[in-house]
Amino acid sequence: MRPQTRIRRFSPLQRLFHLFLMLTFLTQASTGLARMFIETRWGKNLAGLFGGYETCRTIHIYVGIFMLCVFALHVVYVLSRIKWREFPRSLFGPDSLLLQFKDLKEFLLHVGWFLNITRGPEFDRWGYWEKFDYWAVFWGIPVLGITGLLLAYPLSASQIMPGWALNIAFWIHRIEAILAMCHVFIIHFFIGHLRPHSFPMDQAMFAGSVDVEDAKHERPTWIARLEHAGSLQRALVSEPSAAGRAVFYVFGYLAMATGVFLLIGGLVNAPYITW
Amino acid sequence: MKRVMSTKIAVISVAGVLLVELLGLPALSPAQEEVASAIRRYKDREVSTGYYEEYEALPRRQRPLVEIPGVRRGIFPYSPAAAEVRSRTHLADSHQGIQFYWNLRCQICHLKETKDIHTTRANLTCRQCHGGEPIPSINYLYSPLNPIRKHAYVCSKCHEGASASYASYVVHEPNPAMVGTRTSFPLLFYVFWFMVVLAVGTFLVFLPHTLIWGIRELFVKMKKE
Repeated sequence: MRPQTRIRRFSPLQRLFHLFLMLTFLTQASTGLARMFIETRWGKNLAGLFGGYETCRTIHIYVGIFMLCVFALHVVYVLSRIKWREFPRSLFGPDSLLLQFKDLKEFLLHVGWFLNITRGPEFDRWGYWEKFDYWAVFWGIPVLGITGLLLAYPLSASQIMPGWALNIAFWIHRIEAILAMCHVFIIHFFIGHLRPHSFPMDQAMFAGSVDVEDAKHERPTWIARLEHAGSLQRALVSEPSAAGRAVFYVFGYLAMATGVFLLIGGLVNAPYITW
Repeated sequence: MKRVMSTKIAVISVAGVLLVELLGLPALSPAQEEVASAIRRYKDREVSTGYYEEYEALPRRQRPLVEIPGVRRGIFPYSPAAAEVRSRTHLADSHQGIQFYWNLRCQICHLKETKDIHTTRANLTCRQCHGGEPIPSINYLYSPLNPIRKHAYVCSKCHEGASASYASYVVHEPNPAMVGTRTSFPLLFYVFWFMVVLAVGTFLVFLPHTLIWGIRELFVKMKKE
């Protein structure tokens, strides 16, 4: 029996949502960039992995529709998790991902700590950057999904709006996708896995738990709240097995390598395509 | 009892008559609704077949977006450079009077128009849409690219079922970042810049934030060690 040194942070269903998001996001990023960079050797090779320019489009459309379906399921899940009896007060509880005024305060305190001006904030369960990440995806999927559907089915789309709106939908889709990819491949990966506190990998989203000592250091308010409520012991879990950790590392670093490959390839080849 | 029986007989008779009618009469056909509405007319067919007769090419309801930025429109609009030449948007031969025309290639004058998705990705050549010589101006009454028939004569060659609305997609899209686009395609200009500000704003906050965070944690770690 391994010692219970970790605290549960994500449920299996939440991890499954994240896993779906990882796989579909990387597929969309790869097929989307392959089409965008098809004028370059890099884009052609990338498209070749998926069966060429046209197949990339087919994959992009169907994976996109799949993403929208999972997003709809996620919305149902979120609605089921709201404590409706205490609504709307429950939305502003410490376990809620809704952005609140205290997040702005913590952001400013955190920046102050970076600059060695103030003491660092004592985070609860969710930091402001995690809430931002969550809402960025929550906004990004409908924006990319709706504009993507308009572009995927232009004949039907031009029945409900003028055809020139497709020019606009194209640019919204493109810029939002670039924003999402750059944010994930630079900021999310760095905060999650490469900053000294998390390095070499924050396994929270794979194992579903974080080290108690680390949590006490980074999220003292959360731990204190659980201790006060007497639920800390119940939330403790044991460390994942060595084999499990190996899978997390291999899978996580493969995903990161894919992201970095797409990021560098995109940046290097950006001057050579027709925008 | 007698009343119930008579009701049953009535119901069965009506049902029988209806059944005979359903079997005997021809099935309802969409053709029966043809030209039922002056507004919709052939709209359903536009998405389904892609084949058009001449009379089916309806004038589009949108005004074409092809304009010269900052220049008044009229019978004799002037060029953006304010040169005193006629804009060539209504001529039967748009290249009429151009010296040494036969020695020129399209991209010598229309370089920008050769760099969009239709040309770079679909490898279309100019003539596949604009036709052979003489190439009429797109607003010339009998031009195949005139917005009143572009969807039927040009777009639907590749995009089966293209409607007039569909054909208002701007193939030679102006650069959305340029000031001139504010006049020629304002919505594209404003949406583009909104998205760019959103993206740049996000990175202006989070890139330095993330970088400094990493450096600060590095210092803390070094101090601990």
